Amino acid sequence: MTGFRVSPICDAMRLAQRATSEKMAKPSSEESLIATEREINQMRFAQGNSSGHSTTLGITDLSFLTRFGVKGAAAAAWLHAQNLPIPDAPNRWLPLRGGGLIARLGFNEFLIEDSINSSIAPQLIELSQHPPAKVYPVLRQDAAIALGGSLILDLLAQTCSLHFRALNLSECPVVLTTMVGVNVTIIPGEIYRIWCDGTYGVYLWQTLLNIIEEMQGGAVEFEQLLPL
Amino acid sequence: MNEMRLLPIPGEWIDRRQLIDFTFEGRRVTGYAGDTISSALWASGYRILGRSFKYHRPRGILSFANHDTNTLMQNGQMLNVRADVLSIRSDMALTAINSMGDVRSDRAHVLDFFSAFLPVGFYYKAFHTKKLFPFWEKVIRRMTGLGTVDPSTPHIRTAKRYDFCDVLVIGAGISGLSAALSAAQAGVDVVIVDENLHPGGSGQYQLGGEMAQAQHTANLVKSVQQHPRIRLYTETEAAGYYDDHWVPLVGRNYLSKMRAESVIVATGVYEQPAVFRNNDLPGVMLASAAQRLIYRYGVKPMNRAVVLTANSDGYRAAVDLIAQGITVVAVVDLRESYVEDQWTKKLCDRGVKIFPNHCIYEASSNPANDGVSAAIVCSLNSGNPETGFAQLISCDGILMSVGWAAAANLLYQAKTKMRFDDHVQQFVPHILPPGIFACGRVNGIFHIEQKRCDGQRAGLEAAAYLGKSDLTKIAVLPEAESPSHPFPIVAHPKGKNFVDFDEDLQLKDFYNAAQEGFDNIELLKRYTTVGMGASQGKHSNMNALRILARITNKTPEQVGTTTARPFFHPVPMSHLAGRGFTPERRTPLHSRHEALGAEFMLAGAWRRPEYYRQRGKNREDCIRLEVEAVRNGVGIIDVGTLGKLEIRGADAAEFLERVYTGRYTSMKIGTTRYALMLDETGVIVDDGVIARLSAEHFYFTTTTSGAATVYWELSRLNTMWRLDCGIVNLTGARSSINLVGSHARTVLAKLTDFELSEAAFPYLAVREMRIAGMPAIAMRVGFVGEWGYEIHVAADSALALWDALMNAGADYNIRPFGVEAQRVLRLEKGHLIVGQDTDGLTTPMEANLGWAVKLDKPFFVGQRSLQIIAKRTPKHTLVGFVLEKNFKGTPPQECHLIIDNNEIAGRVTSIAFSPTLQCYIGLAYIKPGLSEVGNSFSIRTTDGTSVMATVSKTPFYDPDNARQKKIATVRREVVV
Amino acid sequence: MKLITCPINGTRPVSEFVYGGELRLISDPQALDDQTWAEQVFYRNGAPGIKKEWWCHVPSNTWFIAERNTATDETLNTYLYGEEDSR
Repeated sequence: MTGFRVSPICDAMRLAQRATSEKMAKPSSEESLIATEREINQMRFAQGNSSGHSTTLGITDLSFLTRFGVKGAAAAAWLHAQNLPIPDAPNRWLPLRGGGLIARLGFNEFLIEDSINSSIAPQLIELSQHPPAKVYPVLRQDAAIALGGSLILDLLAQTCSLHFRALNLSECPVVLTTMVGVNVTIIPGEIYRIWCDGTYGVYLWQTLLNIIEEMQGGAVEFEQLLPL
Repeated sequence: MNEMRLLPIPGEWIDRRQLIDFTFEGRRVTGYAGDTISSALWASGYRILGRSFKYHRPRGILSFANHDTNTLMQNGQMLNVRADVLSIRSDMALTAINSMGDVRSDRAHVLDFFSAFLPVGFYYKAFHTKKLFPFWEKVIRRMTGLGTVDPSTPHIRTAKRYDFCDVLVIGAGISGLSAALSAAQAGVDVVIVDENLHPGGSGQYQLGGEMAQAQHTANLVKSVQQHPRIRLYTETEAAGYYDDHWVPLVGRNYLSKMRAESVIVATGVYEQPAVFRNNDLPGVMLASAAQRLIYRYGVKPMNRAVVLTANSDGYRAAVDLIAQGITVVAVVDLRESYVEDQWTKKLCDRGVKIFPNHCIYEASSNPANDGVSAAIVCSLNSGNPETGFAQLISCDGILMSVGWAAAANLLYQAKTKMRFDDHVQQFVPHILPPGIFACGRVNGIFHIEQKRCDGQRAGLEAAAYLGKSDLTKIAVLPEAESPSHPFPIVAHPKGKNFVDFDEDLQLKDFYNAAQEGFDNIELLKRYTTVGMGASQGKHSNMNALRILARITNKTPEQVGTTTARPFFHPVPMSHLAGRGFTPERRTPLHSRHEALGAEFMLAGAWRRPEYYRQRGKNREDCIRLEVEAVRNGVGIIDVGTLGKLEIRGADAAEFLERVYTGRYTSMKIGTTRYALMLDETGVIVDDGVIARLSAEHFYFTTTTSGAATVYWELSRLNTMWRLDCGIVNLTGARSSINLVGSHARTVLAKLTDFELSEAAFPYLAVREMRIAGMPAIAMRVGFVGEWGYEIHVAADSALALWDALMNAGADYNIRPFGVEAQRVLRLEKGHLIVGQDTDGLTTPMEANLGWAVKLDKPFFVGQRSLQIIAKRTPKHTLVGFVLEKNFKGTPPQECHLIIDNNEIAGRVTSIAFSPTLQCYIGLAYIKPGLSEVGNSFSIRTTDGTSVMATVSKTPFYDPDNARQKKIATVRREVVV
Repeated sequence: MKLITCPINGTRPVSEFVYGGELRLISDPQALDDQTWAEQVFYRNGAPGIKKEWWCHVPSNTWFIAERNTATDETLNTYLYGEEDSR
């Protein structure tokens, strides 16, 4: 017997779909509420298939990507010993050679996320079963979202009090802040990546999607946004 | 068409190609696109636009500066329509708001004649005896109010947004525009806002009949609009100033929260009315109101004007009237002599009579009582009117140009220290806080060229403050003559000389208030209500201050000002409401609960199933059936909301020993122990279970509501203690499910190869195993008093686990149960819930948790206080109680008091009907003397009735705890 | 909205933070008599002035010390606990 895994956001799409069919509301957003269920990395998740929206404002669920978290005074050294590049300052990120990224959250905590092609995180999870001193593995069960399109900053202006325009993207900043009342980790860029505690995933997704749809955007397949 | 419309004016704000019809008081009115409601009405010959608050006197246009309270109107469901601000639309159906019947004939006008009985502060006296209150309440409710609320008005929310800039310039008049330009040219990012539809300010209407200045202003506006580093927002009000340059910008459609690095206040000044009898007649208006009517809306303010002035602005305004063909019959100057300039020359050339050292003593009403018919002018002798030499000058309008008050509201809110400048007779900034700058008339600079320089100076100072430029000194010349008269106020024996038009306050009201002892500015404000109307004293505070200064023989500086509070102008509730983000947390099993018919409740931010609905059964029955299912079969509950923390490291056990009351260093690996947390005063703040997974690895739980605060506090403590350990918050990362009941073991055995015997997995042990193929942590728990497992898995596997358990339990009629059933089950075992059966003062001894406290440890939080508390007898202790077996009445509820000898002897903390024991059971705090098992006591319910209860031993159910520890020897037959 | 500067995450609105009380270095509790201990635990100095306070940046769980003038609500300095001297 093997278990299956489910994205924390999965239900949001299904609930919205059911609500639409029951209430027959909002014809303009029907398209984005049509969700197809997919499975990657043994995780089931739902995707909107409104292809047109990704240029204005598109949102997609990337919870299925494998990830690993670790913190502690010796975490950086341990990761370095596993041949991972370490961002030299707090709140910075680096791309990983095989795909994916490593984000330094403050001084002593790290988030490693794979791309769709790489698989470092499951290896690190294995290796961290019996961690050395001052290395504390962090179980990551994030709701992970990506935003793309020309209206990202307008969406953020309604949902987050940080001055994103003033960030120097060449420094690869990582931002820990709140968004619509929820603690989030954000990596800005051409595409914005957002992670939050999975139990807030449905709320964050629905809240953002509501605003996105007002702005004529919608939920899209991740392939629309990412050159993974 | 409009009888008071002028020929097209260059730069006017109306579009004469578009006619718009609307209704006012049921009558059709036609105006042009771009007209405000007031300008369209005035152009059509309307004079009475509203009725005053107290006396219901007819009122027209006073300031036309976006704060005319007397012209507030209602448009259907829309309240607080500012007629001098809102542009007309064809769907408007406007009504005056303070009129009994048509505004032209208002039946409540009779109040004006009874004004002697409605002096200032009359309500303090009217309510002297309670007997008169109902009468006055009815009367006042009918007479007052500024509109009628329609409760069916739809709730609108407009989304807020955040905005940022280096320099925020408030006000797009000449000085503000100049400031924006010079700051932007120095390299900073500027946002400039103006509450009006178009920028430019007085540069486009204080013209003296000449368009050159208007053109210069238009050019300045263009430069600002075209500059790449400047964003210009019109129709946008800066509603207040909050800490660290946080300014709400209220636009037509939404509110922006602007964070600026610095702020330049270029808000200008409010023109002030002169005080004389009947100064509130329609047709008596401020000079700048007339100028705005002319240049923005092409409206003729009057046909025959008398201009009352005390500055050069008045003469210039008179020339503006003449340039439009309006007759200026006389200019009355309060000053002993006037300074000759181009405006006075023009007037003399036209033969306009000028009366220096004269005042307007009284305005006469026309027979229709809807306007002015004449001004009664007197010479002044040492500032007093010589009424023996009065002249009657017939006119249909009076302009007042006697002075200005700084629009310094936001400066005050930013904690600027202001000082009263005797030369310009107004308050000006004295000490500005860092990052705040002021320019233009709010800074006491009136001359147009000097305003430009002053703006430039402020812009460069802001840029220098931000490190973008070196500070270059710009010289700004002071005013040649004072723009404001020190006391433009004339007494009259018959009164009706208004100081505050919003609140209908006359000059004598202030003398009366001072006489009654309210002779300081704060008391005067509250007793008279001056400045408390909708315009918040914009036209009245300065005169009130001058009057009080005269009465008390003080300077205006000594009298001081009251505090100007946000918002600057009315802000719609829809803008304030915003979207209303309310975070909600869900466990990964949410969809399963929905599918099972869960009735959800909010536990903090979490949605939890309260119980599961069953067709044909009410709430109480559903809960009872869930309880029975757990006791007699097997139940399953989602406890994923529990706080879950993990601690690792050499000092992990030491840390737990310091933070909780028990001993954990000696725990065997694979065991769990109850954990009680206190604060440093010895009060219970949280509890949970600690599981030892290895020598240096513990996994522990907290209450749902305590999860966040416990994690913060433990983080803070270790920041101080620097122990060799790390804490990870897994509350959202793990899901937990309790499987409980006599069949629990059988069900679980189907899904795992792990040995589940009593020997291999004893009561209170913890084991790591694979369940349904998934890695899981399982603990044997006893919270509800049946054989049970608390299973923790990664959140993304929760659905798989739930489905597997439900499947495996199908043969045993596995029953999901909710929070309410769980509360009954734990109560049957006498288990307390922190926060329900404990409060902000409960210490462990009182709650029968002394056994969980190891006072002889080296240190734990709360230990020192417990040592002190242990020396005393507890005031009360927690006991179990039962009501009589066949109790039939309304049972007591939580917090009902225990009464003994007419004194409070305790209170109920939990109570519920136990389906298992078939009687009401509960927990209560009770005085030591009454706490013996078997003792009877009385509980008083809300309606005063007494219910008898008996102290009982706990647990109520299965006192030996055999059910959760051992396999039940008697099994019910299972119906498959 | 007031701004506070987290030593690690920078300047943020106060809504991202939680206040943790005044920094009080509690000496060895066992060395104090009952009266002194009670005062330590229950009494606070309410006089306005520059106080050292615990603040936590919630999204990153960063605890730090802020030196704040409680009369003017001006934060003079923020630093990680124990790193006062490095500022």
